[in-house]
Amino acid sequence: MEQQLAQFAHLGAGIAIGFGATGAGLGIGLATKGLMDAVSRQPEVAGKAFGFFLLGAALSEACALYAFVIAFMLMGK
Amino acid sequence: MEHWLYTIEIAGHSMTFNLDTIFTMWFAMGVLIIFAIFATRNLSLVPTKLQAFCESVMGFFWSTMDTMMPKENKQHVPLVASLFLFIVFANLMGQLPLRLIHIKSGELASPTNDINLTAAMAIIVLVYYVTAGIMKKGGKFFLHEFSFTGIVMSLVELLEMVTRPLSLAIRLFANIFAGEILVTIALGACAYFGPLPIMLFEILVAFIQATVFMMLTIAYISSATGEEH
Repeated sequence: MEQQLAQFAHLGAGIAIGFGATGAGLGIGLATKGLMDAVSRQPEVAGKAFGFFLLGAALSEACALYAFVIAFMLMGK
Repeated sequence: MEHWLYTIEIAGHSMTFNLDTIFTMWFAMGVLIIFAIFATRNLSLVPTKLQAFCESVMGFFWSTMDTMMPKENKQHVPLVASLFLFIVFANLMGQLPLRLIHIKSGELASPTNDINLTAAMAIIVLVYYVTAGIMKKGGKFFLHEFSFTGIVMSLVELLEMVTRPLSLAIRLFANIFAGEILVTIALGACAYFGPLPIMLFEILVAFIQATVFMMLTIAYISSATGEEH
């Protein structure tokens, strides 16, 4: 029973980090798309837009890291 | 990543301290305080190199405050600036070779890899912006107009008082923690050169996360003290 619980916890950790990484990947991809659009339309804003891009990418990356924390907690079971 | 725990008993309650976090936190704070004392000791109208550097750092905070929060921003700069500087220094400490100093258990790394520290900073931000909002608007800070939408908005804002510090704390903690685990995994994959690119990336992450923490703090304060909220 104990061993089965540990196996399911590891399975849950894999599922958690997988879905979390999917969402964060989509988010960062969208942010990059927005940056490319802005820079190709108006090349002189590149520096300023890159700062906002980094902020947005960090914010959406944080969602994957929430999943990572959950996965790490499940791995410790 | 286990910590160096130390438990004391006070009147039947046991309190546990993470000694490695406390040590690295005071190291970061001490370096910043000593640097600030040296930087502000002999201020002159014609700045020395150190003074010019510090003035440009402060100019960064002034300009960020001006873009994020145009009105009445002077009194919030000390909190925001000290949060940013402390977080940057604390994150960068993880790349220093402090792990070579052996302690009883755990290791000396960034103090921000401990959720207790980031949660404490997030709670400071929560108390600060709620206090700033109450001082600006009084009891109206919690209330909106008496209608269905207004009541729902008030409840949502009460909920935000829990979710905002939670997300602030976990975001910073998880970034630094994940970075350390990545470095450990890369160390196992290729011992001498594997961690190098990841450590360089962690330097970027240190600055980005400090900026994110600062920007969100400014956004929360400006939404609490602004006219429409």
